[in-house]
Amino acid sequence: MPAFWTDNYPLQYVVRRTLFFVALALFAFWVFFPFYWMVATSLRPDAELYTRNVTLLPQSFTLQHYETELVRYQFGIRLRNSLFVASSTTLLTLIVSSLGAFSITRLRYPGRAALARSILFVYLIPGSLLFIPLYIIVYTVGLANTLISLIITYLTFSIPFCTWMLMGYFKAIPPDMEEAGMIDGCTRLQTFYKILLPLALPGLVAAGIFSFTLAWNEFLYALVFITSSQLQTVPVGLASHIVADIYMWGPLMAGSTMAAVPVIILYILAQGALVQGLFAGSVRG
Amino acid sequence: MAVEVSLKRPPVSTVSPARRQEAVQGYLLVLPIIVLFVCLIFYPFFSAIWLSMTDKTIGTTGDFVGFANYRWLLRWPDFELMLLNTWTIAFVGVAIKFVVGMAMALLLNVEFRGRMIMRGLFMLPWAVPTFVATLTWRWLYDYQNGVINTIATGTGLSDTRVSFLGNPDFALIAVIILVVWKGFPFFGISYLAGMQGIPREMYEAAEVDGANAWARFFYITLPSLRHVIMITCLLSLIWTSNTFEMVYLLTGGGPSNRTQVFTLMTYKLGIENMRIGEASAVPMMFFPLLAGLIVIVSRYMMKED
Repeated sequence: MPAFWTDNYPLQYVVRRTLFFVALALFAFWVFFPFYWMVATSLRPDAELYTRNVTLLPQSFTLQHYETELVRYQFGIRLRNSLFVASSTTLLTLIVSSLGAFSITRLRYPGRAALARSILFVYLIPGSLLFIPLYIIVYTVGLANTLISLIITYLTFSIPFCTWMLMGYFKAIPPDMEEAGMIDGCTRLQTFYKILLPLALPGLVAAGIFSFTLAWNEFLYALVFITSSQLQTVPVGLASHIVADIYMWGPLMAGSTMAAVPVIILYILAQGALVQGLFAGSVRG
Repeated sequence: MAVEVSLKRPPVSTVSPARRQEAVQGYLLVLPIIVLFVCLIFYPFFSAIWLSMTDKTIGTTGDFVGFANYRWLLRWPDFELMLLNTWTIAFVGVAIKFVVGMAMALLLNVEFRGRMIMRGLFMLPWAVPTFVATLTWRWLYDYQNGVINTIATGTGLSDTRVSFLGNPDFALIAVIILVVWKGFPFFGISYLAGMQGIPREMYEAAEVDGANAWARFFYITLPSLRHVIMITCLLSLIWTSNTFEMVYLLTGGGPSNRTQVFTLMTYKLGIENMRIGEASAVPMMFFPLLAGLIVIVSRYMMKED
């Protein structure tokens, strides 16, 4: 921090600057304390957690909660299920969304404007509105209690979102190169995967990251469609500790930390891209 | 809802083979999206309308009962409370998220060392999965060993420990605090992005004219962000009124339905009690309003075309 207590800095400036940093510190405390507490709880022995006088700083460290979560609560199985669901959702989403966004932004045919609008509408429909009829469908076609049911239903929000986002990216890329490619003898599909996709790679990466996190974080469908504990995903598996154990906070916070870290890393990598994609150019000062 | 995608071919005589081939390719490439929407959005939506007028349970097919489920819901003693809770969480939550998000944007728009790192870090509550945020806050609120209680009693702020989540007066506030903590960064980062686009000269000119900081905020910043503010608030209103896991994992709708919301009620009726008919009717009662919000916000989001 610069030493601003000099003749160049009048008193009023110093007061304002100090107030600013106090406000920022208080705000930051509220934002970051829960994270600190989550990680700290996961690393402290039970004796330090279940006492009337919890100290703000840990007195001793232990990895015992991580061991409990991984061994007794079988975090690994949930992790495997979540990884399978999230990566399958991402792969399918990227294929379907990029082809769809290419079609809507690059090819001319009647009804494509209506299609673009319906993609936005469907993206805006909250998942909690349709889970009962989806449950009936999943049950009727015999997919109840399978991970496939999650992948298929997660597509209903990841595909509209990613298609909408990729349409924004594709629109920002001038079609000149693809037109030149077609004159040189490329087919339309070749212009898509040889010219457009490499140019839109950052958008594709962002779309992939967001569909992965959407699937990784999803709770309601995973709670409703999956009944066997061997097929639970990470969110539902962790939530089930609440009824299973009274002294669950250590393992629960250990599991929460392990579930949050991959997503946080992905978000840091793709920072800002979501806001960009969401507004797709509509943010103008 | 009914979005028609015309699959009819244009009259052959007026369309060149190349154009027709382009159209066929176009439809083929969006076909997976259309199939997905028809099977997993439109069909479930219309089947939900039908289900809401039957007495279907899990295991039975159900008979048509007209509007009996709707009448039953309206007569449910805590129905009004559930409505009130849902919209209180949504409107109060969004209003506070707007204020806190704007505060974040204003603070992080000031020049200081480490500003870019702070911007990234302030996104954390939004980046973290909702279930992680909710479980962590449940532990913070805990009656016996929760750190909020420990700090409050330790500093003399409160004489006794408070059961935040079991207290009928505080449970809804506890939910709203979590909703705000989780959601404000989306507002903040959107406003920051918007502020970047406001030309500096506008502020300099205003300063020359003697406008103080408040005036500059109200006459330059706010009007310039009008469009972003509308989108963030409307989007968040749709999402927040459909909050499920925060309530389910924090309070379970209790104490005595004081935090009951419509998504949770749908879950309890449909999944826990297997009463599909009644459960399907609950979201239907919210749909007209949500559909209105979706139409309005989609207009704003398509405006750039």
